[in-house]
Amino acid sequence: MIQLKEIDKYIESRFQRIFILKGINLTIQEGEFLTLMGPSGAGKSTLLNILGLLDEDYDGEYLFGNKNIRTMKERERSSLHKSEFGYIFQAYHLIDELTVYENIETPLLYRKVASAERKSIIADLLDRFNMVAKKDLFPAQLSGGQQQLVGIARAIAGRPRLLLADEPTGNLHSGQAKEIMEVFQELHQEGTTIIQATHARENADYGTRLINLLDGRIESDEKI
Amino acid sequence: MWKNYLKVSFRNLRKRKLYTGINLLGLTIAIVSFLAICLYIQHEWSYDKMYADHERIYKINQEFVSQGESRLVSSTPSSLIPTLKDEVPEVEEGTLLFDLSIFSSVMIDAGEGSQEEKKFAFADENFFDVFDFQILAGNPSRILSEPNQLVLTASTANRYFGGYTQAVGKALKVDGKEYQVSGVMEDFPSNSHMEFDFLASFLSHRHGKDPEWSPSNYYTYVKLRDGVDPVSFHSKLDQIVDKYLGSELAQYGYSTAFYLQPVAQIHLGDQSLNVIKPGSDIRYIYIFGVVALLLMAIGIINYVNLATAEATERNKEVGLRKTLGAGRSQLFGQFVSESMLLTLGAAGLSILVLNLIVPKFKEISGVPLNLDLFATPLGILAMLVFVAVVGLLAGMYPSVILSGMQPIKALTNKTKMGGGAWVRKSLVMFQFFVSIGLLMATLIVKNQLDYMQDVSLGYEKEQIIAVNYHYSMRNSMETLKGEMLRSGAAISVARAADMPIHIKAGYKVFPGGDNQKELMITGYSVDPDILETIQLDLVAGENFSEADPTRAELEDEHSRNPILMNEAAVQQLGWSSEEAIGKVVNMGFSENSVIKGVVKDFYFNSLHHELGPLVIFNDPDQSNVLLIKLPAGNPSAHLATLEGIWDRMLSDRPFNPVFVDQAYDQLYRSEQKAGLIFGIFSAIAIFIACMGLFGLVSYVAMRRTREIGIRKVLGATQQNVLSVLAGDFLKLLGIASVFSIGFGVWFFQAWIADFANRISLNFWPFILAIGLVFLLAMLTIGYRSWKVYSLNPAKTLKSD
Repeated sequence: MIQLKEIDKYIESRFQRIFILKGINLTIQEGEFLTLMGPSGAGKSTLLNILGLLDEDYDGEYLFGNKNIRTMKERERSSLHKSEFGYIFQAYHLIDELTVYENIETPLLYRKVASAERKSIIADLLDRFNMVAKKDLFPAQLSGGQQQLVGIARAIAGRPRLLLADEPTGNLHSGQAKEIMEVFQELHQEGTTIIQATHARENADYGTRLINLLDGRIESDEKI
Repeated sequence: MWKNYLKVSFRNLRKRKLYTGINLLGLTIAIVSFLAICLYIQHEWSYDKMYADHERIYKINQEFVSQGESRLVSSTPSSLIPTLKDEVPEVEEGTLLFDLSIFSSVMIDAGEGSQEEKKFAFADENFFDVFDFQILAGNPSRILSEPNQLVLTASTANRYFGGYTQAVGKALKVDGKEYQVSGVMEDFPSNSHMEFDFLASFLSHRHGKDPEWSPSNYYTYVKLRDGVDPVSFHSKLDQIVDKYLGSELAQYGYSTAFYLQPVAQIHLGDQSLNVIKPGSDIRYIYIFGVVALLLMAIGIINYVNLATAEATERNKEVGLRKTLGAGRSQLFGQFVSESMLLTLGAAGLSILVLNLIVPKFKEISGVPLNLDLFATPLGILAMLVFVAVVGLLAGMYPSVILSGMQPIKALTNKTKMGGGAWVRKSLVMFQFFVSIGLLMATLIVKNQLDYMQDVSLGYEKEQIIAVNYHYSMRNSMETLKGEMLRSGAAISVARAADMPIHIKAGYKVFPGGDNQKELMITGYSVDPDILETIQLDLVAGENFSEADPTRAELEDEHSRNPILMNEAAVQQLGWSSEEAIGKVVNMGFSENSVIKGVVKDFYFNSLHHELGPLVIFNDPDQSNVLLIKLPAGNPSAHLATLEGIWDRMLSDRPFNPVFVDQAYDQLYRSEQKAGLIFGIFSAIAIFIACMGLFGLVSYVAMRRTREIGIRKVLGATQQNVLSVLAGDFLKLLGIASVFSIGFGVWFFQAWIADFANRISLNFWPFILAIGLVFLLAMLTIGYRSWKVYSLNPAKTLKSD
């Protein structure tokens, strides 16, 4: 599904290049649940951003399916982005001015999903995460775990093939974290490809593959 | 999708109250000013366009040429209209009007004592065929066709008879002569160049039955047939001149021609031809239009500045939306809908505010603004288009900036607003440029007005009143003067043809006697007391004496006629003041005019004009103004005394005094109006700009709170903090000042060129304008920096 070839990412400083990622070669198959681990500054988030098309400032080749991302037109990349990718953040990043319902609705609006279909998708999601009663609350009125559930609901509302999660449980206590990881597992079983970056070893156990990053290089790559 | 945009926009605006408040206030003030000026311009532009076929209706003006000097006047002979109708088939209709008000007022008596009325004119029977004013009562085709018929306007009919149906058929006495009310017409609309309360049939006028080619005292209007080219029509007018007027005028060394003026161009055209009602200078209309656009631009710039500054705060939201799949156009829609919503709100508020200020506006400018225009379908459409354009202009730049951010940078808040900074800076600079520029213009106009107020005119205008009297009262005047002087309520009294502020009568010096030159000269008919009353100085010779004959006492054109001239006149005839005494000149009506004295030059016209040559005639019978110098002190007691004497001696005319200095100020009405409008709008511009500045500084302060906290910990004083915040803005203000000085100098030269007598370029308006705006800007920034400074660094530093 994804193939990275010789990915370099660096910052040009006055006297030298500081590499954040160096010579990353990586192939990810459809249906994998991959975990990126490593200490702070190892390049987990950077790699995730590159994978998620949020960062276009790097050297090397990125093939998605059989398409080369680097040579794609802005419009194609944007439509690929819309149809295939979902994102989950450590800090949830819900839109404060929107209710739970509206937050989940936003990606559907951007995908121009018809109103009736939108309603049924959101209803299903609210139902699935037991949030029907909270649909008219604003993010500030929810606990962290609940906010992250909304974040997940929002990420999967557009039915992406690839779900990217950057420290999804980083701000949660262990009980909530477990709940979130179980949701991930469920999604994985339904066929979604998931790539997560995390500090916590126990989260990796939910996945199928573990990659350890150190100083911008892949140190180990193992199946679980 | 739009529903969602609007919902989110609304919540965003509600959440950020300072931001929304500043923007809403700024936009509302800008839109109110803009719309008010637009309505004003629309009103000025709509003059005389309400008549059916107005584009075929023309006024005819007459030109007199003598010795290469040409003078265009707005009146024509009374024979012109009947001749045109008989001999020129291109003329469909035509009418003649005689405006009595420029000569004198009339006394109207409807049986309950007489009242003085000023807006009285004679019109011939075709008046309503040319101007399709509505006739409310009476038979339209017969209401001006007989002698002694009188048409009233609706409000006049109300005033005298309490309604227009009962007015018809009633009798009225005009200066003792009986008239019958034959009809009632609608009031003249405020956007007509004519304004009368009474129209009498021209056949009632003493020259009404026998048209003549001289004098040129009548206004002529024609309606040309459809398709007639007005330019080629002038050849027909030339034929008329050749046939009836050419040879006669040639004797006196004149030639003449008639010119068409489209009726809709009277109000904004050459003001010397617009005599019935004061018009407007079209240049001021243009200037106001530019001011309206500038104010609107300042309001929009405020929004752009604040919204781009705010973009820093909204990075996160933008990044997030992008990762959720928002395309550029969708983000653009989101932010533009926010500015549209705000503009719509401001426009709604503006209409409310306009409703409140329209009556006040009418009081100040005399112009009724027609707010109903906004209730017409076209008005609503125009308003919506206006909102869309303003919303788009305001929202476009911030939206492009925001939607163009890279999502990951935006999410992690790493974006510096470096790219937009120079745009924002130039916009702030533009705002201050406009503010300072308008303020400079205001101060320059004020300087010139003050100068005209204080300049030594060469005569006295303080504590002097002028009272109009009727020709028929001339024989009582000497007695009246005596009574007034005896009462002690007057120091000196003189009869004159006009107030000295604006002497109009045109005369000509012909070759003859001791002089071989021709000279166009202004004539002032007075009695000998004028020199004492308005304090004219004699530089040579002496004043008229009792022994000198008045003009009425001259036997023929060879009789010795003593005259006075001003210095400019004798100088142009080639004499020094002393040499001129005793010289004989030919004044046309009197070939043996002897210069008896020379008066020091004084400004007998508005300061727009150069001081020209003047001749003073001993001619009290041509006078119809009594000039009275009051003793010092509160004038009201003296006025009461004088009124008592007047009423005792002349019971049929009211005593209506005008203060000469106030009448003098009236000469500069359009300049005062311009000064006032510049003043109001420069205040508005400065206010909006300062508000925008406040918003910008607030954001800068917020972004730099932490930095300022650190500086404070390191020992920065309040001044240090102020200079950190103010430095950038002061630089912008400095550059704006340089540009506005350039503008100020240009404005000074362009505007002041209109005055023959003017102030010289000095730096005070520039220093004052720049200083004031700097001060206000510093106060704005200072307030903000004080608030940041007073924050506790322990708190501000913890937030990271």
